[in-house]
Amino acid sequence: MTMTDERLLDLIETYGAEPMGWPEAERDAALAHLSANRVQFEPALRDARLIDGILAIDEMPDVPSGLAERILAVAPQAGASRRGIGARLRSIIMPNGARWPAGAALASLAMGLVGGYATAATSSDLYPSTEETVVYAALGYDGLSNFLEEVDG
Amino acid sequence: MAQAALVNRHMPVVWRVAYRMLKDREEAEDVTQETFLRAWKMLPDWQDRAKFSTWACTVAINLCRDKLKKRAPVLMDELPEHEDSGLKPDQALSQKQAGERISALIDALPDRQKEALTLCAFEGMGNIEAAESMGISVEALESLLSRARRKLRDQLAEVQEA
Repeated sequence: MTMTDERLLDLIETYGAEPMGWPEAERDAALAHLSANRVQFEPALRDARLIDGILAIDEMPDVPSGLAERILAVAPQAGASRRGIGARLRSIIMPNGARWPAGAALASLAMGLVGGYATAATSSDLYPSTEETVVYAALGYDGLSNFLEEVDG
Repeated sequence: MAQAALVNRHMPVVWRVAYRMLKDREEAEDVTQETFLRAWKMLPDWQDRAKFSTWACTVAINLCRDKLKKRAPVLMDELPEHEDSGLKPDQALSQKQAGERISALIDALPDRQKEALTLCAFEGMGNIEAAESMGISVEALESLLSRARRKLRDQLAEVQEA
Protein backbone atom coordinates (compact mmCIF):
# COMPACT_ATOMS: atom_id res chain seq x y z
CA MET A 1 0.00 0.00 0.00
CA THR A 2 1.28 3.44 -0.93
CA MET A 3 1.34 6.05 1.80
CA THR A 4 1.21 9.77 1.13
CA ASP A 5 2.02 12.73 3.36
CA GLU A 6 -1.63 13.70 3.35
CA ARG A 7 -2.89 10.26 4.37
CA LEU A 8 -0.34 9.89 7.15
CA LEU A 9 -1.39 13.26 8.50
CA ASP A 10 -5.01 12.08 8.33
CA LEU A 11 -4.15 8.94 10.26
CA ILE A 12 -2.40 10.90 13.00
CA GLU A 13 -5.21 13.43 13.29
CA THR A 14 -7.90 10.77 13.17
CA TYR A 15 -6.51 7.89 15.20
CA GLY A 16 -3.83 9.57 17.30
CA ALA A 17 -0.07 9.30 17.64
CA GLU A 18 0.00 5.64 18.67
CA PRO A 19 0.53 3.45 15.57
CA MET A 20 -1.36 0.57 17.18
CA GLY A 21 -4.49 2.69 16.84
CA TRP A 22 -4.03 3.14 13.10
CA PRO A 23 -5.90 0.86 10.70
CA GLU A 24 -4.03 -2.41 10.44
CA ALA A 25 -4.10 -2.41 6.64
CA GLU A 26 -2.23 0.90 6.48
CA ARG A 27 -0.02 0.62 9.56
CA ASP A 28 3.16 -0.78 8.04
CA ALA A 29 3.17 1.68 5.14
CA ALA A 30 2.40 4.55 7.50
CA LEU A 31 5.21 3.57 9.87
CA ALA A 32 7.69 3.30 7.01
CA HIS A 33 6.64 6.70 5.70
CA LEU A 34 6.86 8.19 9.18
CA SER A 35 10.32 6.87 9.89
CA ALA A 36 11.55 8.37 6.60
CA ASN A 37 9.96 11.77 7.33
CA ARG A 38 9.92 11.98 11.11
CA VAL A 39 10.66 15.69 11.47
CA GLN A 40 7.90 16.70 9.09
CA PHE A 41 5.23 14.94 11.16
CA GLU A 42 6.52 15.81 14.62
CA PRO A 43 4.14 18.78 15.16
CA ALA A 44 1.12 16.62 14.25
CA LEU A 45 2.36 13.82 16.49
CA ARG A 46 2.83 16.28 19.37
CA ASP A 47 -0.75 17.55 18.99
CA ALA A 48 -2.09 14.02 18.76
CA ARG A 49 -0.17 12.90 21.86
CA LEU A 50 -1.83 15.67 23.84
CA ILE A 51 -5.29 14.38 22.91
CA ASP A 52 -4.21 10.77 23.46
CA GLY A 53 -3.11 11.76 26.95
CA ILE A 54 -6.42 13.45 27.66
CA LEU A 55 -8.37 10.41 26.50
CA ALA A 56 -6.15 8.11 28.55
CA ILE A 57 -7.02 9.79 31.84
CA ASP A 58 -10.75 10.03 31.21
CA GLU A 59 -12.47 8.27 34.07
CA MET A 60 -14.75 5.31 33.63
CA PRO A 61 -16.75 3.77 36.46
CA ASP A 62 -16.63 0.05 37.05
CA VAL A 63 -19.24 -2.23 35.53
CA PRO A 64 -22.08 -2.62 38.06
CA SER A 65 -21.55 -5.61 40.30
CA GLY A 66 -23.91 -8.47 39.64
CA LEU A 67 -24.77 -7.31 36.13
CA ALA A 68 -23.23 -10.39 34.52
CA GLU A 69 -25.23 -12.62 36.86
CA ARG A 70 -28.45 -10.77 36.07
CA ILE A 71 -27.83 -11.17 32.35
CA LEU A 72 -26.96 -14.85 32.72
CA ALA A 73 -30.06 -15.45 34.81
CA VAL A 74 -32.21 -14.98 31.71
CA ALA A 75 -29.83 -16.73 29.31
CA PRO A 76 -31.03 -19.91 27.62
CA GLN A 77 -29.58 -22.74 29.67
CA ALA A 78 -27.95 -25.82 28.23
CA GLY A 79 -30.48 -28.61 28.53
CA ALA A 80 -33.37 -26.20 28.98
CA SER A 81 -35.38 -28.25 26.55
CA ARG A 82 -34.79 -31.35 28.67
CA ARG A 83 -36.16 -29.64 31.75
CA GLY A 84 -38.98 -28.37 29.62
CA ILE A 85 -39.92 -31.95 28.83
CA GLY A 86 -39.96 -32.78 32.54
CA ALA A 87 -42.09 -29.77 33.36
CA ARG A 88 -44.53 -30.50 30.59
CA LEU A 89 -44.75 -34.14 31.66
CA ARG A 90 -45.47 -33.14 35.26
CA SER A 91 -48.10 -30.63 34.20
CA ILE A 92 -49.81 -33.23 32.02
CA ILE A 93 -49.87 -35.80 34.83
CA MET A 94 -50.74 -33.34 37.60
CA PRO A 95 -52.45 -30.29 36.16
CA ASN A 96 -53.52 -29.24 39.69
CA GLY A 97 -50.60 -30.67 41.61
CA ALA A 98 -50.42 -33.95 43.58
CA ARG A 99 -53.66 -33.82 45.58
CA TRP A 100 -54.66 -37.46 45.70
CA PRO A 101 -52.85 -40.79 46.15
CA ALA A 102 -53.09 -41.80 42.51
CA GLY A 103 -51.63 -38.45 41.65
CA ALA A 104 -48.78 -39.05 44.08
CA ALA A 105 -48.11 -42.45 42.53
CA LEU A 106 -48.07 -40.94 39.09
CA ALA A 107 -45.86 -38.16 40.39
CA SER A 108 -43.37 -40.77 41.67
CA LEU A 109 -43.41 -42.43 38.30
CA ALA A 110 -42.93 -39.13 36.57
CA MET A 111 -40.09 -38.16 38.92
CA GLY A 112 -38.44 -41.52 38.22
CA LEU A 113 -38.72 -40.97 34.51
CA VAL A 114 -37.43 -37.43 34.74
CA GLY A 115 -34.66 -38.48 37.14
CA GLY A 116 -33.58 -41.26 34.84
CA TYR A 117 -33.56 -38.91 31.92
CA ALA A 118 -31.56 -36.36 33.87
CA THR A 119 -29.00 -39.00 34.91
CA ALA A 120 -28.65 -40.16 31.35
CA ALA A 121 -28.33 -36.56 30.27
CA THR A 122 -25.44 -35.94 32.67
CA SER A 123 -23.08 -38.05 30.65
CA SER A 124 -23.89 -36.01 27.57
CA ASP A 125 -23.07 -32.73 29.37
CA LEU A 126 -19.54 -33.20 28.08
CA TYR A 127 -20.91 -32.27 24.70
CA PRO A 128 -22.08 -28.73 24.07
CA SER A 129 -25.73 -28.04 23.46
CA THR A 130 -26.85 -26.41 20.23
CA GLU A 131 -26.98 -23.05 22.03
CA GLU A 132 -23.44 -23.50 23.32
CA THR A 133 -22.11 -24.51 19.93
CA VAL A 134 -23.59 -21.35 18.47
CA VAL A 135 -22.13 -19.21 21.26
CA TYR A 136 -18.65 -20.65 20.79
CA ALA A 137 -18.95 -20.03 17.06
CA ALA A 138 -19.97 -16.44 17.80
CA LEU A 139 -16.88 -16.13 19.97
CA GLY A 140 -14.79 -17.37 17.10
CA TYR A 141 -14.00 -20.86 18.45
CA ASP A 142 -14.75 -24.24 17.02
CA GLY A 143 -15.89 -25.45 20.39
CA LEU A 144 -15.33 -25.63 24.13
CA SER A 145 -11.92 -27.28 23.84
CA ASN A 146 -10.55 -24.50 21.64
CA PHE A 147 -12.03 -21.88 23.93
CA LEU A 148 -10.45 -23.47 27.01
CA GLU A 149 -7.10 -23.76 25.25
CA GLU A 150 -6.98 -20.01 24.78
CA VAL A 151 -8.39 -19.14 28.20
CA ASP A 152 -6.00 -21.48 29.96
CA GLY A 153 -3.14 -20.36 27.76
CA MET B 1 -20.32 -21.97 30.48
CA ALA B 2 -20.50 -20.74 26.91
CA GLN B 3 -23.05 -18.09 27.81
CA ALA B 4 -20.90 -16.97 30.74
CA ALA B 5 -17.87 -16.74 28.46
CA LEU B 6 -19.82 -14.62 26.01
CA VAL B 7 -21.05 -12.30 28.77
CA ASN B 8 -17.64 -12.03 30.44
CA ARG B 9 -15.97 -11.19 27.17
CA HIS B 10 -18.44 -8.74 25.67
CA MET B 11 -20.66 -7.35 28.42
CA PRO B 12 -18.08 -4.86 29.83
CA VAL B 13 -17.59 -3.33 26.37
CA VAL B 14 -21.34 -3.02 25.81
CA TRP B 15 -21.79 -1.45 29.22
CA ARG B 16 -18.94 1.03 28.74
CA VAL B 17 -20.24 2.06 25.31
CA ALA B 18 -23.73 2.55 26.77
CA TYR B 19 -22.41 4.44 29.79
CA ARG B 20 -20.28 6.77 27.68
CA MET B 21 -23.29 7.54 25.52
CA LEU B 22 -25.84 7.95 28.30
CA LYS B 23 -23.78 8.93 31.36
CA ASP B 24 -26.32 7.16 33.50
CA ARG B 25 -25.52 3.89 35.25
CA GLU B 26 -29.09 2.62 35.39
CA GLU B 27 -29.84 3.40 31.77
CA ALA B 28 -26.52 1.89 30.68
CA GLU B 29 -27.42 -1.25 32.63
CA ASP B 30 -30.85 -1.37 30.96
CA VAL B 31 -29.23 -1.10 27.55
CA THR B 32 -26.70 -3.82 28.38
CA GLN B 33 -29.38 -6.20 29.64
CA GLU B 34 -31.60 -5.53 26.65
CA THR B 35 -28.70 -6.11 24.28
CA PHE B 36 -28.01 -9.54 25.75
CA LEU B 37 -31.69 -10.36 25.98
CA ARG B 38 -31.85 -9.83 22.23
CA ALA B 39 -28.69 -11.89 21.84
CA TRP B 40 -30.24 -14.83 23.67
CA LYS B 41 -33.25 -14.63 21.37
CA MET B 42 -31.04 -14.48 18.30
CA LEU B 43 -28.80 -17.39 19.23
CA PRO B 44 -30.71 -20.17 17.48
CA ASP B 45 -30.45 -18.23 14.20
CA TRP B 46 -26.96 -16.84 14.74
CA GLN B 47 -25.23 -18.45 11.75
CA ASP B 48 -24.07 -16.05 9.05
CA ARG B 49 -24.57 -13.08 11.31
CA ALA B 50 -21.92 -10.44 11.99
CA LYS B 51 -19.18 -10.83 14.55
CA PHE B 52 -20.81 -10.83 17.98
CA SER B 53 -18.98 -7.72 19.22
CA THR B 54 -20.07 -5.74 16.14
CA TRP B 55 -23.64 -6.93 16.45
CA ALA B 56 -23.79 -6.20 20.19
CA CYS B 57 -22.34 -2.70 19.80
CA THR B 58 -24.78 -1.94 16.99
CA VAL B 59 -27.73 -2.98 19.14
CA ALA B 60 -26.41 -1.07 22.16
CA ILE B 61 -25.74 2.09 20.14
CA ASN B 62 -29.22 2.00 18.63
CA LEU B 63 -30.80 1.52 22.04
CA CYS B 64 -28.75 4.43 23.38
CA ARG B 65 -29.81 6.64 20.47
CA ASP B 66 -33.45 5.83 21.22
CA LYS B 67 -32.98 6.75 24.86
CA LEU B 68 -31.18 9.98 24.00
CA LYS B 69 -33.95 11.00 21.61
CA LYS B 70 -36.54 10.49 24.33
CA ARG B 71 -34.48 12.20 26.97
CA ALA B 72 -34.43 15.84 25.87
CA PRO B 73 -35.30 18.02 22.88
CA VAL B 74 -31.67 18.25 21.86
CA LEU B 75 -31.01 16.85 18.42
CA MET B 76 -28.00 14.69 17.73
CA ASP B 77 -24.99 16.65 16.51
CA GLU B 78 -26.58 19.82 17.80
CA LEU B 79 -25.17 19.66 21.25
CA PRO B 80 -23.16 22.68 22.33
CA GLU B 81 -19.90 22.91 20.46
CA HIS B 82 -18.18 24.19 23.53
CA GLU B 83 -18.76 23.80 27.19
CA ASP B 84 -16.82 25.83 29.70
CA SER B 85 -14.95 23.26 31.70
CA GLY B 86 -13.92 25.81 34.29
CA LEU B 87 -10.39 24.48 34.09
CA LYS B 88 -7.80 27.08 35.02
CA PRO B 89 -4.15 26.45 34.27
CA ASP B 90 -3.01 27.77 37.62
CA GLN B 91 -5.29 25.43 39.52
CA ALA B 92 -3.56 22.55 41.15
CA LEU B 93 -6.06 19.89 40.24
CA SER B 94 -6.14 16.52 41.78
CA GLN B 95 -6.23 13.64 39.36
CA LYS B 96 -9.90 13.10 40.18
CA GLN B 97 -10.81 16.70 39.44
CA ALA B 98 -8.82 16.62 36.22
CA GLY B 99 -10.56 13.41 35.22
CA GLU B 100 -13.98 14.93 35.87
CA ARG B 101 -13.17 18.00 33.78
CA ILE B 102 -11.85 15.91 30.95
CA SER B 103 -15.00 13.80 31.08
CA ALA B 104 -16.98 17.04 30.78
CA LEU B 105 -15.03 18.01 27.66
CA ILE B 106 -15.71 14.62 26.09
CA ASP B 107 -19.37 14.68 27.13
CA ALA B 108 -19.79 18.00 25.38
CA LEU B 109 -18.91 16.43 22.03
CA PRO B 110 -21.80 15.73 19.64
CA ASP B 111 -23.21 12.23 20.15
CA ARG B 112 -21.97 10.75 16.90
CA GLN B 113 -18.44 11.99 17.52
CA LYS B 114 -18.61 10.54 21.00
CA GLU B 115 -19.76 7.19 19.62
CA ALA B 116 -16.84 7.09 17.18
CA LEU B 117 -14.35 8.07 19.86
CA THR B 118 -15.77 5.52 22.29
CA LEU B 119 -15.49 2.62 19.88
CA CYS B 120 -12.08 3.46 18.40
CA ALA B 121 -10.15 5.36 21.04
CA PHE B 122 -11.59 3.88 24.23
CA GLU B 123 -12.50 0.37 23.17
CA GLY B 124 -9.74 -0.07 20.61
CA MET B 125 -12.12 -1.30 17.94
CA GLY B 126 -10.81 -1.40 14.37
CA ASN B 127 -12.12 1.21 11.95
CA ILE B 128 -14.08 -1.25 9.80
CA GLU B 129 -15.84 -2.85 12.76
CA ALA B 130 -16.53 0.52 14.41
CA ALA B 131 -18.01 1.90 11.21
CA GLU B 132 -20.15 -1.20 10.84
CA SER B 133 -21.34 -0.91 14.44
CA MET B 134 -22.39 2.68 13.84
CA GLY B 135 -23.96 1.90 10.48
CA ILE B 136 -21.74 4.34 8.59
CA SER B 137 -18.85 4.21 6.12
CA VAL B 138 -15.22 4.15 7.21
CA GLU B 139 -14.78 7.59 5.64
CA ALA B 140 -17.66 8.96 7.71
CA LEU B 141 -16.18 7.37 10.84
CA GLU B 142 -12.81 8.97 10.16
CA SER B 143 -14.47 12.32 9.65
CA LEU B 144 -16.23 12.02 13.02
CA LEU B 145 -13.02 10.96 14.75
CA SER B 146 -10.90 13.76 13.37
CA ARG B 147 -13.59 16.34 14.15
CA ALA B 148 -13.87 15.03 17.70
CA ARG B 149 -10.13 15.21 18.26
CA ARG B 150 -9.90 18.66 16.67
CA LYS B 151 -12.70 19.91 18.90
CA LEU B 152 -11.00 18.55 22.00
CA ARG B 153 -7.73 20.14 20.95
CA ASP B 154 -9.43 23.52 20.37
CA GLN B 155 -11.18 23.35 23.72
CA LEU B 156 -7.93 22.58 25.47
CA ALA B 157 -6.26 25.48 23.70
CA GLU B 158 -9.06 27.80 24.82
CA VAL B 159 -8.71 26.57 28.38
CA GLN B 160 -4.98 27.18 28.32
CA GLU B 161 -5.45 30.68 26.95
CA ALA B 162 -8.10 31.57 29.52
